Amino acid sequence: MSLPTSIADLQDAALIARLQALVAESPVPAAAISAVLYALQDARGYIDDVALHAAARLTGLSPVRVEELCTFYSLVLRAPAGRHVLRICDSIACHLAGAQDLLAQAQAHSGVALGEVSLSGALTVVPHVCIGLCDRAPALLMDGEATGPVDATSLARCLEQWEADPWKPF
Amino acid sequence: MKRVFYLDGQTVPFTSGQNVLEAAIAAGMARQIPYFCYHPALGSLGACRQCAVKIYPHDDKHPPRVTMACLLPASDNLQLATVDKEVHTEHREIIELLMLNHPLDCPVCDEGGQCHLQDMTVQTGHAVRRYSGPKRTYHDQDLGPLVYQEMNRCITCYRCVRFYQDTAQGDDFGVFGSRDRVYFGRLEDGPLESPFSGNLVEVCPTGVFTDKVFRHDYARVWDLQQGPSVCPHCAVGCNTMPGARLGTLRRVRARHHPEINPHFLCDRGRYGFRYVTAAERPVQARLHGARSRQDVVLRQVAMRLQEGRSGFLGSPREDVQSNLALFALADCLHAPFAALSSPWMEALAQQCMALPQAPTLSDVETADHLIVMGDLGGVAPMAELAVRQALRNGAQLTVLASQPTPLAEAGDYRPTRPSALPDLITGLAEDVCLQGSRRPVILAAAETLGPAGVHALRKTLARLPANARAGVFQNSPNLFGAAYFAVDGHTARLQHALRQRQIDHLLCLAADPLGSDWGAGTWRSLVPGLQGATVLDMVDTDTVRAAEAVLPTAAFPERDGFFINYEGRIQAFAQVYRREAPVLHPQENVNSFPAAAGGQMHPLGPPTPQYWLGRLAELLDIVKPWQERLAFYQHFLCPISPHPDSPGVLLDDALRARFEIAAAPAAAPVGTEDWELDLFHWYGGETLADAAAELQSLAPARGLRVSADISAPFATLSGPCGRLRLPVIPIVGMVAGVVALDQEGFAELGLYPGEAVQIQWEVAS
Repeated sequence: MSLPTSIADLQDAALIARLQALVAESPVPAAAISAVLYALQDARGYIDDVALHAAARLTGLSPVRVEELCTFYSLVLRAPAGRHVLRICDSIACHLAGAQDLLAQAQAHSGVALGEVSLSGALTVVPHVCIGLCDRAPALLMDGEATGPVDATSLARCLEQWEADPWKPF
Repeated sequence: MKRVFYLDGQTVPFTSGQNVLEAAIAAGMARQIPYFCYHPALGSLGACRQCAVKIYPHDDKHPPRVTMACLLPASDNLQLATVDKEVHTEHREIIELLMLNHPLDCPVCDEGGQCHLQDMTVQTGHAVRRYSGPKRTYHDQDLGPLVYQEMNRCITCYRCVRFYQDTAQGDDFGVFGSRDRVYFGRLEDGPLESPFSGNLVEVCPTGVFTDKVFRHDYARVWDLQQGPSVCPHCAVGCNTMPGARLGTLRRVRARHHPEINPHFLCDRGRYGFRYVTAAERPVQARLHGARSRQDVVLRQVAMRLQEGRSGFLGSPREDVQSNLALFALADCLHAPFAALSSPWMEALAQQCMALPQAPTLSDVETADHLIVMGDLGGVAPMAELAVRQALRNGAQLTVLASQPTPLAEAGDYRPTRPSALPDLITGLAEDVCLQGSRRPVILAAAETLGPAGVHALRKTLARLPANARAGVFQNSPNLFGAAYFAVDGHTARLQHALRQRQIDHLLCLAADPLGSDWGAGTWRSLVPGLQGATVLDMVDTDTVRAAEAVLPTAAFPERDGFFINYEGRIQAFAQVYRREAPVLHPQENVNSFPAAAGGQMHPLGPPTPQYWLGRLAELLDIVKPWQERLAFYQHFLCPISPHPDSPGVLLDDALRARFEIAAAPAAAPVGTEDWELDLFHWYGGETLADAAAELQSLAPARGLRVSADISAPFATLSGPCGRLRLPVIPIVGMVAGVVALDQEGFAELGLYPGEAVQIQWEVAS
């Protein structure tokens, strides 16, 4: 990993302006780190090394500190993801309600291992820690939106629809 | 009244603020409470859940419960138990959990024999592994030449990251991931950047971080010969514990000194010891560059001394007795003697001696207002570590330096030209902040201040309230010791005698007047009058290479002696091991038995300087007067000889008082248009440590450090003693009009920090 020297490496003036605004409105620059990471992930799909160093530079944190946050929070992705990210809760309530079957079904649909990008580029499936929807188990996060309970049919329908979505740039 | 609580019915004394585990360890009862994440310097975390005890509340409402000893503040008459079924279960099962993924590589692990995890596992009685599933594994990182990582052994006690990020305030090492996949490392492979990275090896309770230098010359720790020593790489005088095996030095660890280094050591102190094993180290006597027999060389040197045309040069790099022995010999021969290689250094040493009692590093940690001048961390890294602890305790820090040092980034950086420092220091006496602080401390790199700066510091301290303290640091271990003999004008007299051809031979003790010592430029200009030099040294220097006769000396862990550190603390170090030198060629080594008869395979290593000087006195037939003088000086200067295990004794104030009369030194005036020199020092650099290959592989590129607005690729500097062409290294945030140079550069030019220099910039083509 070569160290990028400037946030200009993001090559997106509008994004940089948005990030700078986020930093400016937080009481101390470091406090903006979560918002900055989300904005970067929204724009680029995942936090790549350029984004990591840009976030560090913008917030005044060291790149190691930013990486600590990225690897601690499961909603921050440090590896390339598909256009749609499906997070299936596999904690105890959802597990009892059949989350393992949903995971297997979604993975079979994607055709690649969990966490990888499907060949069409449309989908990444990851198991996820409890999202607090135990009353609606099995629950998922579809592109960050909580849904539940989900069964095999509704999951299949949703996956079909994602596959049919035209490709759009981030 | 003594405050106590009860552990398993035994009384445990404690002081307020201590937790139960801390008090139990202090009382020698650690065997009852196993622990991992607690460390006396890093505090409690409660991460490992190992130090369970049962607490019996004194009321009727609460039942006895199991709690963590490290998180339980000690209080009067607390009733605690570890001899309890629940506590035992907790101890046993937590260790089983921690050992779940731990590899069974103890027989080949470098930590073996000093492994806290192994000790605790055995102590707790977890002998048989029940888990037979797959273990979690990690990819290890290459953390550079000093520290070796083996992450699979980790039990996530967080000691490493607490040390690196909190104590040392490094930002290139962290903890990644969560739950059972936690990783301690860097963002990517590469050497750790902190000057204190070697401490990971000591804080890690198991073999995740081990000593990479030791690894390549490994010995089982129970086979090591260890003994109390003192670090010879700067004026702080940290206490160390070198370990040797089969006549070679293998590693250096920190040794507890409550006021200097209770737990830690900088990388220069830990890894600089490799000068002892460097291939270039002179270990055999040499005459005209060729190995020769000791008696031949000694006779030659004695003949030289008999001519009565010799000068003697001591060194702040050598210990007190060796310098005294040299001084006594010079005295007996009525020959000129100087302890320091330049008049500037002599004035600096005297001014340092005249300063009032300096604060200990533990005093620095409790300061509330700090002013740091120059690159303190580059000269004395452990002093920087103490400043960082003060910062963590909420101290206010102002850094006056010409370059943005790592410490400057942690405090209020005031870009300052070195020549402006004396006036600024004088102004500090009126400083309202300093006047109002409860424990203000001023710390400085001695050479950046220069004699005029240190003099101004003393005058300012006299005007500040009595609670204000100041300490100046230098990178030789015994500047104070050498300062004893630094009588005004000694060096100038020695140089004058050489210039006037009154002498033509120089006997140098660990001095490098033709290499990188301060003032080397002047000495080099005197070389035409020099018919030959004799050097007693333990490292290969320019002077050793140019010398007529070389008498190799024992390295510090190979002998005993005294250093006087920056506080004026006399500390003794003991001989840790006996070096075994490679055998000489049979023809050269006539005294040994023939190899076929079982000959002397391992003759002793280099002897001490006192031995050499004693032999010379013998040959000159002045043993008795030499010994008398030596005994007199020792009685006068070191009436009390501390024991190597003791915390040392401070120099008598009366002895130091005589330095206060030293004349106020004048600094050379520098115009605002002139380019001005400052000292650049990296944390691993020092004459002895420069021979430590592993540490030096991290050294920054040599060059001229200058403000980033200069775009020339090369510059040529001219001084009174020479010219020097160096690549330009632009530094963002450096003061305009100042260039920073290493000590070798100063030696070459014949200039000193804070002086003006002529520079020719080469325009980029």
